[in-house]
Amino acid sequence: MIDILPGIQTTASALQAERIRADVISQNLANALTTRGADGKLYQRQQVRFESLLVNDPQGGNPVREVQVTIIPDERPARWAPDPANPGRMIEIPDINVHEEMVDLIVSQRTYEANLAAAKAARSMAIQTLSIGKRS
Amino acid sequence: MIDSLFHQPNYLAAKKLLEATSAERVAISGNLANAETPGYQRLHVAPSFKLQLQEAIRTGDMSALDEIAVRIQEDSSVTTSRQDGNNVSIEREMFELMRNSMDHAMETQLLTGNLLRLRLAITGRP
Repeated sequence: MIDILPGIQTTASALQAERIRADVISQNLANALTTRGADGKLYQRQQVRFESLLVNDPQGGNPVREVQVTIIPDERPARWAPDPANPGRMIEIPDINVHEEMVDLIVSQRTYEANLAAAKAARSMAIQTLSIGKRS
Repeated sequence: MIDSLFHQPNYLAAKKLLEATSAERVAISGNLANAETPGYQRLHVAPSFKLQLQEAIRTGDMSALDEIAVRIQEDSSVTTSRQDGNNVSIEREMFELMRNSMDHAMETQLLTGNLLRLRLAITGRP
């Protein structure tokens, strides 16, 4: 089977990675004040780790890499905040900075757009290649 | 005899260029995909390709033209100020992608023009 869109797997892996990253950021924002998670413990901020992965290439010699994404917990400790239910007392809440998350979200969105542009370019170039020899 | 129809220097050079443009697009896609990967070094088509192509065209050696390999390698000429050691700049890659699309459009048109002229010569119909 010939590869009519070479390198599209790489772009697909990046789009998927950015989507996962945006999901993790949304989750952090949603749980910025969660004192009890599903496991009964304080919500722990999650983050993503991006790694480049050599593409499985039977011929070899292709150094282009895909992106592999892993979700890992952020080990930063909780912070103390006034307890709204009991004035004068403090409770532990996750240390989530909304500004930090929003900046990450913008970066993620821009990278997603760039990869989408790469996918569109691949498509239009494949169409051009397929019409070699045709009268336009 | 029919072989010689497809061995004109223009046609072969355009074919080789198209191969390089396609490889370059794969490299740019990889760079954009890894724009956020720590430590990633951007890839590009080895600069030796251009030199070899120029040399082959200058000497008119068509068999040398056929043997030029398009290799993708790390581009060490770009330095970075980023903390994570990644030297991909999205702006640069987007610009390269645009240039690459234009190159591709031009090269496919060159090939199409070549083939249509051949058809005209054979059939006498435009």
